[in-house]
Amino acid sequence: MIHPVAWLIWLGAVLVVLTTTRNPLYLAVMLAVLAAVLTRLRRVHAEETPRVPLSPLHFALIVLPLTALFNALTVHVGRTVLLRLPVTWPLVGGPITLEALTFGALNGLALVGIYTAFVVLGYAVTVRALVGLIPRAFFPVAVMTSIALTFVPVTLRHWQAIREAQAIRGHRVRGLRDHLPLFLPLLIGGLEHAFQLAEAMTARGFAAAAETPSTRRARVVVASGLLTLLAGWLLQLGWGERALGGALMLLGGGEVIGALWYLGRQVPRITYRHTPWRARDLAIALAAGVTAAAFLVPWPGLERHSIFFYPYPALRLPEVSAWLLLALTGLEVPLVLMPAARRLTIAPRMSAGDHAAPHAPEDDRRECSRTVAERGDLTESRGMATPRPLETATAPIETGERL
Amino acid sequence: MRDRLIGWSIHLASVAIGVTAFLYPFFAPALPQESFGMAHAEDAPLLLTVLVGVCFAALLVEAQRQAGSAKLVALLGVLVSLNALLRFVEVAVPGPGGFSPIFFLIVMTGYVMGGSFGFLMGALTLLVSALITAGVGPWLPYQMITAGWIGLSAPACRPLVRMLGGEGTWREVVVLALFSGIWGMVFGAIMNLWFWPYAVGPQEQHWQPGLHWTGGVLRYAAFYLATSLVWDAMRLAGNFVLTLAFGLPTLRVLRRFQQRFLFVYRPSEQVSV
Repeated sequence: MIHPVAWLIWLGAVLVVLTTTRNPLYLAVMLAVLAAVLTRLRRVHAEETPRVPLSPLHFALIVLPLTALFNALTVHVGRTVLLRLPVTWPLVGGPITLEALTFGALNGLALVGIYTAFVVLGYAVTVRALVGLIPRAFFPVAVMTSIALTFVPVTLRHWQAIREAQAIRGHRVRGLRDHLPLFLPLLIGGLEHAFQLAEAMTARGFAAAAETPSTRRARVVVASGLLTLLAGWLLQLGWGERALGGALMLLGGGEVIGALWYLGRQVPRITYRHTPWRARDLAIALAAGVTAAAFLVPWPGLERHSIFFYPYPALRLPEVSAWLLLALTGLEVPLVLMPAARRLTIAPRMSAGDHAAPHAPEDDRRECSRTVAERGDLTESRGMATPRPLETATAPIETGERL
Repeated sequence: MRDRLIGWSIHLASVAIGVTAFLYPFFAPALPQESFGMAHAEDAPLLLTVLVGVCFAALLVEAQRQAGSAKLVALLGVLVSLNALLRFVEVAVPGPGGFSPIFFLIVMTGYVMGGSFGFLMGALTLLVSALITAGVGPWLPYQMITAGWIGLSAPACRPLVRMLGGEGTWREVVVLALFSGIWGMVFGAIMNLWFWPYAVGPQEQHWQPGLHWTGGVLRYAAFYLATSLVWDAMRLAGNFVLTLAFGLPTLRVLRRFQQRFLFVYRPSEQVSV
């Protein structure tokens, strides 16, 4: 399993490239890379398809014509006129040009790429791993998010039960107010459930952290950092003081980040299963960093004019830089280093709390971890596991049959 | 007193940074022009994302401090799951235009339970619902902070409600319905702002480097009227009608449970064995 942080760095590099360039060749290479990574991930996690509202292909079929047509109809710039609409027509009247059509399509391609990148993230990183990435300073938020994610299926079952009970009593939904007998029991039931959960959490030692002088000082530093940052930015925007403003912004930002880091250090955190940072994760992160730097930073002596393709006023062939193409290959590193798909042979029944048999091969334990996560396991924080609802905690995971 | 002062400073400064970040297109003298019109070719989006992220993190750490007891953590978790489920239903069966049922509960909980609770409710609803509907994208941080602001600002209705006759009356529900309706429009306007400078389209509707702020506002108004007004009007109407229809009984329920969730456990500083 590739480390979630490595995937996030990879995603950041993809977003940098897709928001920086409109060169069709670079965009085409990016889409090819994303398609290859997605295909490979689908093979690796063939049985764990995440819920995606639209596949990237369907998204492309909708978005590409829309962006191309919208731009062509509203931007009447360019030399290659395809047709002319009467100028009396508001907004769309005027020449429809090939250049505007092309530029709209290129924007659509970038949007498709961004969407695909997040679909890739959905396949590569489990929800539990994403929640686990929440910094220590925000541990109550991590607990709330875990509870919320765990309670979604419980709430859904509760909703179905209420609907059936009301239907038996002859309740029919005809208007908006008829939803009230469904919504209120759901809300009240949820609040009662929250009360029970809070008591269970308290019984297990979860309590509000008392404020100490050091945490109060950290809050003062946060406030001072924010004010410094704001002052610096206003100096830049209002008075054009780029150097002084930039220095104040850096100072303020540093104060806030430092204080948050300090607050995080005050929270002891035990990770049940630590995902190791391996050499391949470092390779993926470094390669992605190189790609992002190539597109972001104007390196002396290296051509980057080809990044900024612009079809107006007349369409022309895009230029290509060999070293930028080479830099794009950095995003293909996950393809090479991704572990191959395996069929698992774990003991047939195992409780959610067990996670994995100690003798199971490493990949099996990883896959089992994914399964447990999808069933709503919780982030552990402050040295204790947040209580799970009864349904999740006691239901056995039938890994033998499923995997 | 000192605590409140620190809290207010963090709230005000982070909201000011967030608002400035969203209004950046109107004040920015000129984003870099290396890309001949593609202003997003440089670091402006990165800077905005970092600034919004910093102020969001500061607000979050302050809000979670005030909702740190087991009861409030559990309550928020369950309410967020309920609201995220509403978003899930909305994705499966889309409502008209920009209508979404999630804003109703954010406003109600923020109004009854307080601004910090409302902020967390708004931000986490968007986060959790994005996780369960595969809606994670570059828009998510902006959605989270804007939805958080809705909950954070909901207690601002209290003085008006007191002036008009107090709690439990239909006037209270009307005030909240108007408030959530207005936020329905403002939410759309704010969410457009983060990508507006980088969008392409007719010149009279889009951002241009070096433009005076009045020109920027006029162009944004034209852009908003052409692309988003009808969409956001559906959200306004939806929020208004939903609050009118469900507001009073929901307020009663939340107030009843508020009494039970008020007290907190704190660890003793001196433990005697």
